[in-house]
Amino acid sequence: MTAVIILTLIGVLLGLAIALTVRYFGAPVDPLAEQVAELMPGANCGACGFAGCNDYVQALVSGKAKPGLCPSQSADALQKVCVLLGVASEGRAEKVAVVCCSGTDQYAIRRAFYNGVNDCHSAMLVAGGSKGCVYGCLGLGSCARACPFGAIEMRADHIAVVHPEICVGCGKCVTVCPRRIIKLVPKSAPVHVFCSSPEKAPVKRKVCSAACIGCRKCVKAAGENQMFINGFLASVNYENPPSADIVAVCPPKVLRTEAQPAASAASAAPAAPEAPAATTAP
Amino acid sequence: MIAEYLSLIIGAILVNNFVLSRILGICPFLGVSKKLSTALGMGGAVIFVMTLAGFVTALVHHYVLLPHGLMYLRTIVFILLIAGLVQIVEVLLQRFSPPLYSALGIFLPLITTNCAVLGAAIICADNHYSVIKSTVFCSASAVGFALALLLFASVREKLELARVPRCLEGPAIALLTAGILAMAFTGFSGLGG
Amino acid sequence: MTKKHLHFYGGVHPQESKTASGAAIVSAPLLATYVVPLQQHIGVPAKPVVAKGDKVLRGQLIGEPGGFISAAIHAPTSGTVKEIATCLGPAGNQLPAVILESDGDDLAAEPMPALDWPNASPDELKKRIAEAGIVGMGGAAFPSVVKLSPPPNKTIDTLILNGVECEPCLTADHRLMLEKPEQVITGARITARVLGVKRVIIAIEENKPDAVALLQEKAAGTEVEVRSLRVRYPQGAEKQLIYALTGRKVPSGGLPMDVGCVVQNVGTASAICEAVCEGKPLYERVTTVTGSPLVAPGNWRFRVGTPYAEAIKLAGGVKVDPVKIISGGPMMGMAVYSLDIPIMKNCSGILLLAADEVRQYESSPCIRCGRCNDTCPMGMMPGILSVQIEKERFELAEQWHVLDCIECGCCAYGCPAGRPLVQLMRRAKGEVMAARKAKAAKKA
Repeated sequence: MTAVIILTLIGVLLGLAIALTVRYFGAPVDPLAEQVAELMPGANCGACGFAGCNDYVQALVSGKAKPGLCPSQSADALQKVCVLLGVASEGRAEKVAVVCCSGTDQYAIRRAFYNGVNDCHSAMLVAGGSKGCVYGCLGLGSCARACPFGAIEMRADHIAVVHPEICVGCGKCVTVCPRRIIKLVPKSAPVHVFCSSPEKAPVKRKVCSAACIGCRKCVKAAGENQMFINGFLASVNYENPPSADIVAVCPPKVLRTEAQPAASAASAAPAAPEAPAATTAP
Repeated sequence: MIAEYLSLIIGAILVNNFVLSRILGICPFLGVSKKLSTALGMGGAVIFVMTLAGFVTALVHHYVLLPHGLMYLRTIVFILLIAGLVQIVEVLLQRFSPPLYSALGIFLPLITTNCAVLGAAIICADNHYSVIKSTVFCSASAVGFALALLLFASVREKLELARVPRCLEGPAIALLTAGILAMAFTGFSGLGG
Repeated sequence: MTKKHLHFYGGVHPQESKTASGAAIVSAPLLATYVVPLQQHIGVPAKPVVAKGDKVLRGQLIGEPGGFISAAIHAPTSGTVKEIATCLGPAGNQLPAVILESDGDDLAAEPMPALDWPNASPDELKKRIAEAGIVGMGGAAFPSVVKLSPPPNKTIDTLILNGVECEPCLTADHRLMLEKPEQVITGARITARVLGVKRVIIAIEENKPDAVALLQEKAAGTEVEVRSLRVRYPQGAEKQLIYALTGRKVPSGGLPMDVGCVVQNVGTASAICEAVCEGKPLYERVTTVTGSPLVAPGNWRFRVGTPYAEAIKLAGGVKVDPVKIISGGPMMGMAVYSLDIPIMKNCSGILLLAADEVRQYESSPCIRCGRCNDTCPMGMMPGILSVQIEKERFELAEQWHVLDCIECGCCAYGCPAGRPLVQLMRRAKGEVMAARKAKAAKKA
């Protein structure tokens, strides 16, 4: 009996003490911040521009930042954050990263043998790396190592491939890539131009047989408002992207729905890189 | 008198180090030892809380539990006390010393459930230490904990640069290192008391 | 000449392989086309002052300095500007360039008037050095006029002329000292007049005793002192050279002017002499073309804009296929993948290596032998740094003074694990500088 009384007494006393301390000395705790924090992905990737999720939450709650800066937050969670903060939801198109290069070992030539640190930034220091195309993927995996979600695969044929189903579009790889060939595009866009070289077609073809030759076939097929040519490089207008069946018109097959298939699959593909002119039929 | 306390302190810090000899408080030992700076924060927080907890639990032990013969309740009572105490301290710190609060940060609530704190209180109760002796013992134990944490954090900072076999990466190599560190600490046995 | 062997901490002594040291300098014949880069120096590219189709004469200004740290560019021969385009540089980057089609007459433009240097004012001399587009010809290509204009709060008391040529294989400076000793000494004295210093030292490694003896004889009776140094790479690095000669240590992150010294290459001195005494701008330089695959390695006076392929042709072509072509020396030079790269003002050598001279190795983990620590002339710890950099801990590398690295390659030269130490250092230096810049930009 004493035991019960004493234990209850200690409990009640402590409870009272805590309650009193909080009542008289407690600093105001912001319940809003806690609720918002729960809606954050918690990966602390820093893509929002703040030092981690909590920092961003503090900025959100104090009104210093707008919701929607976090690219990896789901649309649902973003909506809830907007409701909590009492601001109108601006909506945000979900984005994914795309490595805009088709230059696997099968297509891209190498101008030199690189025997150095296995890292794209280091390779850039040695005459810009070993690939002939100075706009192509170096294939040494700096982006894959930087990805906090493990969405980038380094293939054995020296190209980085983003898996869109894992990618949350945080954009870390975009800043890490020394060639700047990774782009953030709307997840809904069906086709992408897997080439980044603005050079003239003969220059590109010399170093890579899977390069955009600027033939304008896609522009003609889809119309100027869906595809456009920038220099000698076709680009998708992501505001108004063309549908997926446009890939058939591209002679070098750089306009595709997904990354360059690996070597074994590519050999079965209709586009033989040696004779691209023969396969121009839509 | 002084010799007694000295041997108590040396015993608590080195010979029977809480982490490396008694294997208590392993969770924060492994969890917050990745960087020296966070280890320092955690060490400070542990010293602070353990000293306070040692004092309060000894008071309750001597003046509430012993007179009423309620020794079998001590575990639950001590946990209650430590948890409540940390809560109060946290609120007070947040109010009166925000810099210290933000420095200790997440560590304070972590300590609430730390077996090292409870362990120290129970060891004191088992050995029938007086209130003063309990407080001294607990703070010395906490210093020992902080020492082990700092040593381990320094080792881990170096370890981070080492090439570890794939299968041993992360916690595995940390535990191995902790084991080697513990073996080194057995060298202190026989020192002091 | 002091008998005491002067030296610095660390360093290595690679096989010298100076096979071309006996080959006298030959002027390279005129080519049909020259590709003259507008950025042959550290800093801002020069602005072209000619347009497509313009007729130019040899020595005529074709690019004016684009900023404070920049240098003028002159036409290497007479002819027509075919195009203003880009060309490949030794670092693999594209450089703006003037493509000049020679007319075969090689007509010289009106030279700048010769200056009476002992009586000309330092400002007048400096102006001439800038007009002649002179840059450091040892390799860094830092515009000389900037180097010779120290801020007023720094007092310079010593001018060091670098004739060390510690890089293996290269012999261009050696030959220049043997064939144009007066030019070198006069250039040194002009530079000393610009800086207002009384103490001038020409430093030469003792593997070139003929150059030491000759320069000593020619310098007798002037303020110029010729000193012979123990053979040790990288003696020609300015911080190491200053320490070996004066015992002064350039502080971490400091410049030679912080300890009252200016270091100038002998080639630069010779070019300064030509610019001041003959009014000739810098459009040609002595370059060593060497390596075992070549039929006839030697030293040539090439006009800037000569493609490497032409230089190799002059050296008799190749007996065996080279596997590696290096712009510069074997220790600090850069491997190039194209022979279209033109010779620039700072190109001291073109080196070809045969298959049996190049080793391709897998780098393995650091075995902590500490050899890199013993050889690092900057007293750094490359082994530890390399591990930090591999883990991308650049902030840690900065604390360990990665920015002090002079990229001499001593650490990688001796590394038994074959670790690419210099490349890692360069990576970290780039990252640390970028981080500092970002920090400064954030503050501003």
